[in-house]
Order: sequence, then C-alpha cells, then structure tokens
Amino acid sequence: MKPVVEMQEVKKVYRSGSRRRQVEVRALDGVSLLITEGEFVSIMGPSGSGKSTLLHVMGLLDRPTSGRYLLAGEDVTTLEDEDAARMRNRRIGFVFQAFFLMPRYSALRNVELPLVYRGLTEAERRRRASRALAEVGLADRMDHLPSELSGGQKQRVAIARALVQEPALLLADEPTGNLDSESGREILALFERLHEAGKTLVVVTHEREIAERGRRILHMRDGRLVNDEVLG
Amino acid sequence: MRFSDNFKIALEALFAHPTRTLLSLLGVIIGVFAVTTLISLGEMATYGIQHSLEQLAGRSIYIQPQFKPGVEPVRFDADLLRVLRVLPVQPIPYVLSSATAADRRGRLVSLDLVGTVGNLPALDASVELARGRFFNRREAEQGLPVAVINAKAESTFFGEGRGLGRELILNVSDGARIRTVVVGVVRPAGGFFGGFESERVTVPYALLWERMPRKKGRFDIIELKVEPGADLKEVEKRTRRLLELRYGKDRVNVQSVQAFQQALTGITVGLQALLGGIGALSLLVGGIGIMNIMLVSVTERTREIGLRKALGATSAQVRAQFLMEAVLLTLSGGLIGVVLAAAVLYLVVLTVPFFEAFILSPLTVALALGVSAAVGLFFGVWPASQAASLDPIEALRYE
Ligand SMILES: Nc1ncnc2c1ncn2[C@@H]1O[C@H](COP(=O)(O)OP(=O)(O)OP(=O)(O)O)[C@@H](O)[C@H]1O
Ligand SMILES: [Mg+2]
Repeated sequence: MKPVVEMQEVKKVYRSGSRRRQVEVRALDGVSLLITEGEFVSIMGPSGSGKSTLLHVMGLLDRPTSGRYLLAGEDVTTLEDEDAARMRNRRIGFVFQAFFLMPRYSALRNVELPLVYRGLTEAERRRRASRALAEVGLADRMDHLPSELSGGQKQRVAIARALVQEPALLLADEPTGNLDSESGREILALFERLHEAGKTLVVVTHEREIAERGRRILHMRDGRLVNDEVLG
Repeated sequence: MRFSDNFKIALEALFAHPTRTLLSLLGVIIGVFAVTTLISLGEMATYGIQHSLEQLAGRSIYIQPQFKPGVEPVRFDADLLRVLRVLPVQPIPYVLSSATAADRRGRLVSLDLVGTVGNLPALDASVELARGRFFNRREAEQGLPVAVINAKAESTFFGEGRGLGRELILNVSDGARIRTVVVGVVRPAGGFFGGFESERVTVPYALLWERMPRKKGRFDIIELKVEPGADLKEVEKRTRRLLELRYGKDRVNVQSVQAFQQALTGITVGLQALLGGIGALSLLVGGIGIMNIMLVSVTERTREIGLRKALGATSAQVRAQFLMEAVLLTLSGGLIGVVLAAAVLYLVVLTVPFFEAFILSPLTVALALGVSAAVGLFFGVWPASQAASLDPIEALRYE
C-alpha cells in the first residue's frame, strides 16, 4: 500500500502573549504517523488536544514548527506559500464544520470554485462539478443557493467541492458538528461510500459512533497521539 | 486562473454592493469629469478662436513700417504694390486713420477711418455687403467722396437700415472735414471678434491722400492674401527677404496669423496644464477614497479570501483579483465621468454661441480612461497585498 501521509516527530508551537510574559502552546508535541492509500481514519480527543491543528498541517494550511511531513511521497515540510497553495488545489480536499460556501454562488459554482484556480475552462468546470454533485446525490439542486439548502445538503455541496479536486487526501474537521443526527448519518453514509470507492479519508470527530464508521481511530491528548486503535 | 474568470469575479464583487460602489466612485467620477471637460473646453476655445482668426485674417501676411524713435519710417507707396506682384499674393493696402462724426442726436462719435482700394469684396471674402455696393477701382484711384460703412456705424449715425444714400461728414485731424455719400453697408464680421466691432468707415485711399496731407502717397499697412496652394511659411520668408532688399534690415514688420496662432496655442496649453493639475488633484483624492473602500472590502471578505486560499488560490491570484476589482472600479468611474463630461460639453455647444464645435478627442478619452485605470492600479496595490498576505486559517476563523 502506498503511503499518503507520513509524519515524523511533527511539532507545532504557538507563541502568544506579550514579550515579557510569553505563553507557549504545544498544539502538536511530536506526532509520528503513517496513513496509507484507501484508509478511513478517525481522530478523536478532548477539546484543545490538537486535532484541528493536525488536520491543518496535514492539509498544508499550516506549517509544522519542526519535524518532517511527506505527502504522497513528496516532502512538503518547508514548502513555499505559492507551492503549498498549488498542492492544496490538486492534492487536498477539505471539508469544514461550518461548510464555508460562497453565499451568492449556486451549488454548482461553489463546487467549481477550486477548479477556477487551475485555469480550467468554464465548460470543463461545469462538467466536472455537475458530476461531483451527482456523486453526492444533489444532481437536482445544482442551481440552488446555499440559503435554499438544508444543513446536510450544504455539507454535501462542500464534500462535492472537495471531491471535484480529485484529491489524494480528503480531510474533514467535525463535518457533522453543525448537523442534526439524521443529516449527520447521511454524511457518514456518504463517507463510507467514498471509502469503499477507494478514497483516503481523515475525519476529526467527538463522537465514538461516528469514529467507529472508520477502520482506525487515532486518540489525541495534549498534542500527542496516545492510542492508535485499529477496529476489527 | 483565466483572465475572464478574474474579470467576472471582480465584476460580481462590484455589483454586490452597487450603492456603495457608486458612492466610492464619486471622487474618481468628479476628477475624470473635471479633467475631460476642462481639456475639451480648452480645445473647443482654441478651435473657436482660431476659426475666428482664420475667418478674419485667413492665410494672410501683414506688413507695416517698423517704428523706431529717431528713425524715419519707410514709405509704403504705390510702387511697392507693383513690386509685391512677384509674390504669389494679392496685396490689399490700407490707409488707417480715425475721425469723428455726428450721431443721430448730434453728438460727435469717434470712428475708425480706413482708406483702401476699390472692389474689396472681390479681394477679401470676409468682406460681405449687406446692402448697396462697394466703391470700384476707378472711384478709389480718383478719390471720389464715397463711403462704405459697417452695420455698427449705420446704426450709430443713421439708424439701422437707413444709411444708404445719406451724407456722412467726417471730421479728420487738422480740422479738415470730408463730406462723403454712403454707397454700401457691410455685414458684421462673424465669429469671436464680431461682437467687438466698433464704428468703421471705409473710403477710397486716394480720398484720404488728397484730404490729409500727412497721409499723402503712403499706405500704413498692407495685407498680403496668400494665393491658394502657396505655402504660407515659404511666402512669408520670401516677403521678408524682398522687403529687406528694398528697405534694409528690420525696417518692416512682417506678421502672419500663424505666429499669433502659435502664441495662442501656447496660452491654451498652459491653461489646460493648470486645469489638468486641478483635475489630477481630485483624482488623487478619489484614489484615496477607492483605497479606503477596498480596504473595507478586504476586511469584510476576510473569510471569503480564507476560503479561496484554502481551496488553492495562490497569493498572486488573490492579489490579481483585488487589483482587477480596483481597476474595474476606477475605470467604470472614469467611464461615467467621460459620459457626464460629453453630456455637459454637448449642452455647452448648444447654448453658448462662442463654442461652435463639439470636440471630445479620442486622445482625451483615452487619457481619461488610462489615468482612471492607473489610479485603480496604484491605490489598489495596498489593499490587494493585504488580501494576498492573509493566512488562510486565521482568515477562515475571522468573524
Ligand atoms: N493560532 C493559534 N494561536 C495560539 N494557540 C492556538 C492557535 N490555534 C490553536 N491554538 C491552541 O492549540 C491547541 C490545539 O488547538 P486545536 O484547535 O488543534 O484543538 P482541537 O483538538 O481541534 O479542539 P476542538 O475539539 O475544541 O476543536 C489549543 O490549546 C489551542 O488553544
Ligand atoms: Mg478543532
């Protein structure tokens, strides 16, 4: 199996406060980890344990203070901002708790958005975006604005936006956190289907029930991986 | 990222808040409006004055004896007229004097008294008869007491339309009185100078030679009408050489309307530069307004910027987007300003008689739009780099 995420002793230290009374927060305190192609990994842990930080580093939205990170075999530890942006655009699909859709764009245009920065023609973007929307079961909602969609539908648009990038890695930070349990189950079913189709998924969650959909649960505490639980 | 996508995104951002967009544009609109209007008004005024000048003086060269203290001025006589025939010109000699005559209520009014050759309308197209006739060559050479007056003189001395055939007694210097009969009335000159006409009486040159001993045998000024097809500058040069040969250096003053036009152009260019400077200042103020509104927009759209970057927009792409917005913003302001200016200029041409032609040169429009775009580019740089330098996570977290 090809490694997708390879981390060695990754640390992320935030320094804040005044110069005299500096406060150091070790959001990640030496994380080493290997995720291979096709895995469905959940990350659990108490609030403030560093789950989001780990996901941001994985998704090249944040840079580690020290350590090494290989994404799909490529060393991305010290990437220039512009190169990191291009990698995010081509290798990473991100799904946020708060959806983050453009309120004035239709579902279709929201899904197109990452492809705009690849310089694809509008026709090509349309083609790929409508396919991605069909994949998440929203073929009949393409022209709807986010305000005309339910929470679960919004999150499915966001997932389609991640899928349209054909990413090596799909990351989701509490994707069901803003949804009722019914919509949450829809999203989870979708993730399971994506896993069965061979996608590599990393999902941060607070709920054991959700985490158990995955085949492996990483437990975090105080910026460290404390348990790597593989389910049967 | 494609240019068309960048353009579309920027346009959408501007139309998201149309009122605010328009308000933020006021400075640029006023600036471009001012610059465009003032430059065009300058061009229109120059055109108007030059047009009037050309109507009045056309392609003419004026020669006059040079006056210097202690030096006897040269004498322009009938022989000079024959010599000037070698040039491709039609010479029209004038004796210039002044006189007084009694107006309708018996008060003495001063007037310009001009002596010239006969049949002037045939020589000078700007002289047009309203009524009657011009004295002919024979009358001019024999000095018969006939007069052609302008409309202003007719209304002063006789009343409008009542001058033909009447007697006009001219009191010239030395206490002499010349009795003349009015045979013709000329139309007022058109154009800019037409409004400033004073009473003018034109009589045969020989009449003045005969009755005013000081004027005998000489002309004060000769207008040389350059023949069509001849090069004005070249003819002017040859005239100078010929007069220098005949009278010596610096004895004759040679002038053409061209020199006057050049001076005039200089003045209007200076005026336009000044007015353009005022316009540039208002553009500067407008540009600062644009920068301000762009900074507000960047702050408001922090999360949008964060999202775009998270999805893979590079800093350069984000910067390009906001620069495009700034340029489109100022460019549309420029466009509105130019349209407003065109409307006002058109109204001016319709209502103010002095401005005869509507001039809005493509160069002026190009300049106005170019400057607007440049203002957007310049004042957009800072807000755009603010947007480009945002950290995606912090931007997404922004409330
Ligand atoms: N930009 C920052 N500056 C300073 N400290 C930060 C910053 N971002 C995160 N932290 C700190 O790092 C630690 C880990 O934060 P993180 O957001 O990764 O936690 P989390 O596990 O996602 O928590 P939650 O479940 O509440 O979302 C926290 O103590 C947080 O306060
Ligand atoms: Mg978190």
